[in-house]
Amino acid sequence: MSLKNHMKNTLCILMAGGKGERLYPLTKASAKPSVRFGGIYRIVDFTLSNCLNSDIRRIYVLTQYRSLSLDRHVRLGWSVFNHELGEFIECVPPQQRNVDRWYRGTADSIYQNIYILQRERPERVLILSGDHVYKMNYNDMLAFHMESNAELTVAGVEVPRSEATAFGVIGCDDRYRITTWEEKPANPKPVPGKDDVSFVSMGVYIFNTDALVKSVIADAKSSSSAHDFGKDVVPGMLRSYRVFVHNFKEANNEAGRYWRDIGTLDAYWAANMDFCSDNPQCNLYDETWPIRTYQVQVPPAKVVTRDRPVQVAEGPEGIHDSVISGGCVVAGALVRRSVLSHNVRIDEGATVEESVLLDGVHVGAGARVRRAILDQDVAVPAGFTIGHDPETDRSRFSISPGGVVIVPRGINLA
Amino acid sequence: MKQILVVDDEIHICELYQSELEDEGYAVTLAHSGKEALDAVERNPPDLIVLDIQMPGMDGIETLEKILGKDKGIPVILNTAYSHYKEDFTTWGADSYVVKSSDTSKLKEEVKRLLGE
Repeated sequence: MSLKNHMKNTLCILMAGGKGERLYPLTKASAKPSVRFGGIYRIVDFTLSNCLNSDIRRIYVLTQYRSLSLDRHVRLGWSVFNHELGEFIECVPPQQRNVDRWYRGTADSIYQNIYILQRERPERVLILSGDHVYKMNYNDMLAFHMESNAELTVAGVEVPRSEATAFGVIGCDDRYRITTWEEKPANPKPVPGKDDVSFVSMGVYIFNTDALVKSVIADAKSSSSAHDFGKDVVPGMLRSYRVFVHNFKEANNEAGRYWRDIGTLDAYWAANMDFCSDNPQCNLYDETWPIRTYQVQVPPAKVVTRDRPVQVAEGPEGIHDSVISGGCVVAGALVRRSVLSHNVRIDEGATVEESVLLDGVHVGAGARVRRAILDQDVAVPAGFTIGHDPETDRSRFSISPGGVVIVPRGINLA
Repeated sequence: MKQILVVDDEIHICELYQSELEDEGYAVTLAHSGKEALDAVERNPPDLIVLDIQMPGMDGIETLEKILGKDKGIPVILNTAYSHYKEDFTTWGADSYVVKSSDTSKLKEEVKRLLGE
């Protein structure tokens, strides 16, 4: 059977039911996967684009908390599948069909939807989450899964050992069969032959359906489990199942290993900053791997300069190394290393540096903003300062462990 | 004495299992619908449940799911005249699957095994 047919017999389930507490207050009104990201996108667009570009056409999105904006985004931006051809993307909130509770964890979200697997009867299930940024051709992973005769394949990426402490660290033999799995270890095991990197789980799994069903049922019956794939199910399968790790390589870029877990506000900020560099690791302009999203109708972005350039404290007006979305108007201001979503206005003499400004933000004349995330519709009054005086900032806003100032929506700064 | 709950809408099946299992030294209680079974599990949790699938109203699969949702760790044997349910993922939460037969030796064997005897 061809790889294409194997993929046809693979159902995709995207788990989007987390509370996203570590991304609060950006998740105050929307589920983490639908948080605005990279100017015009939502975080989930990267994973869904991977599906589309990998010819995956049967997708269930398991939603739970604050799902309205995610439902709407999937409906408006991703209704590109043809139901008559057996293709679909469907958002599924908890049905409480077999239990009277919310999802206890990622594994429980699959357990509670076993009836979907029974209805579809796929041979394999590709399980994804909606809060990672990477470009991956899932066909490569499926081919590896088939060749290895695996019952479960986990995608793994090599990251510096110092960063591996936040993830599930994988140990494997020379055929990539997983031998050890440590969840968030203090001292991550290095990849053999490479002392400074560790293999971590990307939260991307291909399960043979029978192995998945048996494992999540066993997990649901266990009283000591946190009902999480990474913490409980996968480590518990190593002994009795054929569990392999697929060594991630970026789609269209043999040397690329860009993968980011947008788990924290600092990670969110840093991944946005990545797009500002001259040659970002995650290229949004690759026509062979388009990143799809839904965009509202907005006028073009506009930059206004004066006859005599405006001087601000940090230098002359201008836009440098920044992502500017449609509808923005930057008038006589300095913008450096920043990401501006739709309809942002920056007035004369203002400075915005190393910041993420979401839709509808207004920065008044002469205001100075540095290393900050400004949530939707925040209005910064003229002359106001954010990110220059930690003490004042702390009295007004929350500040991430990495020192990024978070300005939530609905705040009145006037 | 280990207590077994037999759930089946057909009275003669209930009576057959009751007499066969009592002969083996178990205490047997009966329920004739999914709802009665759930009430029995709540009121007086048995050590094991023998559960029919095709019943009017709440069927055995839904009953099984609700029993598992109570997290009481009671082993369940699905007992049906049809073998095709065995392939149905929604039945895999059961601990055993026995196809109905006038010969109850397989059922008794599974009861013993699941009760660790």
